[in-house]
Amino acid sequence: MKSTQGTTYRMLGSRLNDISTQLEGLRNIGATGKKLNAPSDDPAAIRPVFNTRKQISNVERDIKTMGQALDTMQATDGYLDNVENIMQRAKEIMTNAVNGSMTDKDRDVLADEVSQLRTQLLDTANATVNGKYLFAGYNVSTQPFVENAAYDAALYDPNDSTTWPVQYTGDDNATSLEITTGRQVEVNLTGNNLFLGSSTWTQDPAPPALPAVNSIDTDRYDLFAELTQAEEAIRNFNASAPYDETNPDPPSAGSLQAYQQAMQTSLADLEGAAEQNRRLRSQLGNQASLVQTTMDDQEGANVDLKAILSRYENADAIEAFSNITEQETAFQAALSITAQVAKLSILDYI
Amino acid sequence: MTSLLNALNAGKTSLLSNQKSIEIIGNNIANVNTEGYSRQRAEMTQIPAVTFGDFFVGQGVTVSNVCRDYSSFITKQLQDKSVEWGEATGRSAPLTEMERIFDVSEDNLAAKINDFFDSWQQLSANPSGQVERDTVIQQGQMLGSAFNTINDQIDSAVTNMNTEIIAGVAELNEKISQIAQLNDRISLVEISGQTENAARDQRDLLVKDLSEKLGVQTYTDNRGMLCMQLPGGLPLVQGNQAMTIKTVSTGTDVNLQLEVAGSTINISNDNLGGEFKGIFDVRDTFISGLRDQLDTLATDLTSAVNAEHIGGFDANGNTGQLFFEDLSTLVPGEIASRHVSVVITDGSQVAAAGNPEAAPGDNENALTIAQLENANVANGGTDTFDGFYSQMVSDVGLEAARNKLALSGAQDAVTQLQNLRDGYSGVSLEEEMINLMQYQRGFQSSAKFLATVDEMMNSLLQVKQ
Repeated sequence: MKSTQGTTYRMLGSRLNDISTQLEGLRNIGATGKKLNAPSDDPAAIRPVFNTRKQISNVERDIKTMGQALDTMQATDGYLDNVENIMQRAKEIMTNAVNGSMTDKDRDVLADEVSQLRTQLLDTANATVNGKYLFAGYNVSTQPFVENAAYDAALYDPNDSTTWPVQYTGDDNATSLEITTGRQVEVNLTGNNLFLGSSTWTQDPAPPALPAVNSIDTDRYDLFAELTQAEEAIRNFNASAPYDETNPDPPSAGSLQAYQQAMQTSLADLEGAAEQNRRLRSQLGNQASLVQTTMDDQEGANVDLKAILSRYENADAIEAFSNITEQETAFQAALSITAQVAKLSILDYI
Repeated sequence: MTSLLNALNAGKTSLLSNQKSIEIIGNNIANVNTEGYSRQRAEMTQIPAVTFGDFFVGQGVTVSNVCRDYSSFITKQLQDKSVEWGEATGRSAPLTEMERIFDVSEDNLAAKINDFFDSWQQLSANPSGQVERDTVIQQGQMLGSAFNTINDQIDSAVTNMNTEIIAGVAELNEKISQIAQLNDRISLVEISGQTENAARDQRDLLVKDLSEKLGVQTYTDNRGMLCMQLPGGLPLVQGNQAMTIKTVSTGTDVNLQLEVAGSTINISNDNLGGEFKGIFDVRDTFISGLRDQLDTLATDLTSAVNAEHIGGFDANGNTGQLFFEDLSTLVPGEIASRHVSVVITDGSQVAAAGNPEAAPGDNENALTIAQLENANVANGGTDTFDGFYSQMVSDVGLEAARNKLALSGAQDAVTQLQNLRDGYSGVSLEEEMINLMQYQRGFQSSAKFLATVDEMMNSLLQVKQ
């Protein structure tokens, strides 16, 4: 065995080659800040990296969706507050109306105000956000509540929606949104549930098929019907009041009592209707706070996921730079040895 | 007188032999950087002595042979290791290309899959939005073009590999026929008892190159001719006969054929070694496996989305529409992943609704499709879409990492063996210089000896005066 010029330079060459290849890799890591630049850098990390990226994209989308949901919920809550006020006011009016010291004129004014409140309620029920009706179920582009022109107080039947004072053209589908992967919440209330006291709703089929019949659930209230009936009760009582000169034929004490009774019932029903609104509002409030909490959680999860991703992908800067320095030193050493080898020759001695 | 003339003759042989040795040293120095050169040296033997009275007196020296420092063991080892190195080299370039195609960047196919399902989720938050509906279609098209890009890139990688194969074959044939020629020359020269050192060196070098490229196996017959064959036993060189390797194109693929004595034999992957085996393995096993997986991914994804889309209702209440082209009805031979395309053209045809009324706020079907992202529906219901794709990418990564390791290992081994070979057969300048001095002194001494004999003869001639 001997060492020849060929072996010496081959060794030096391959060493320099090795070091410069490593240096290139390390500089790439240092420059990009990433240690995962090609699949072969860490094949085991690829699945977690892709999965984490997907989760981050999902979380970011969920946060956006929840933001939108919260906007809708806040708007809904504002309108429910409105409904609350309307019902409150209607109750006060009714309490006044029941009070015997009122004159007919006063009661007429009250009845007018109830009628006004009903119009307000109708406007609220037809509220829109971003051009979409809030309380229409899936039917967001059609005005959900319309006055029933054919309404006749005498024919009113709680079990037949066609006789109700206000007709609903929406459906009973609350909008569900995905707030986290695989978990959906309902972000709005449907008009039938909120205003008509009917938890399910069958859309009226187009004529000539028979109209579908929807009914009010037990112990629940149609807000429009309650207001309409409150107005009717006041007006009926007025119409039958004995002191009115336009009424030459005073009603019997019995029927007067019946009208009085109707006003009392209406007052109780208005209270029940207001209570129904409060219950649904708090239900929505609970949903909103759930969404809010989930959103906060997801914001936190987003940060955590990014940390996880960084652990797989990003290089430790200090480690990268100290590795580069180490290799550069080795490279210098190899270079200077190569130069030394060239200086040493037998030809200088013979 | 006889002895003085003999002495002159002995001096002459010494001068000639030393001169010959110096010539050989000169040749060694000249070839110090020649690849595959084995150091040569003169073998000196004394000329048989003749009887002179009662004594045997030597008649000088002669160069009986010029032989080379050569170890067939090391040469064989080097050829064997070159096969491994060649195979790793052959795999290296296409695998690097695959790593580039199946990358880990943030806009790879997995990201496009995420974006596509993200657009459905966005649609679920605003099912009547025209922009959201158009986005779903656009993201579907982007997904299709991402599949196509990968296919295009794989195609161009395969084309490059085929080009490399075709270009490589010409060089192979050249080398194979050179070996046959060298065989011829060696047997011709060596029949007279000499060794054809230069031709043998050249032949070893060619065999090493061919080992690297084709993984050839060799043995030497009794005439000094080298028989060379492919790993599966197909002959490449027999005596002074060289076979020819041909490339044949079948479809888009290029394969090798061997012409042996008038008949043509297909060279399968089992019959190959070295760089060509590496290239063919990656092309025919690894890349085609990736293509199959890509097709599976495309088929699973489109059929899962289609199955839900058919069940939904578009903005006009129509149902039963496909979202993507149906890949299950493709003509056999068509590549599924090349046909990922959205067949609906208008945003209103996106079936976001889950109920026949198709109310504008109905987002049920959009939610269902968005949830496919996290469902185990890919690869026969065992994995999510992006999970399946990440498996493919990590397969590429594993293969490339494994090959990098094999390559650096084989490279180290080849370097070591080359050093070992050079240590045995290479030219060391120091050694040559010292030998040069040695033979120079020998030459000088012979010359001095001749001068002395000449003086002696002069002295003798002056006796008569």
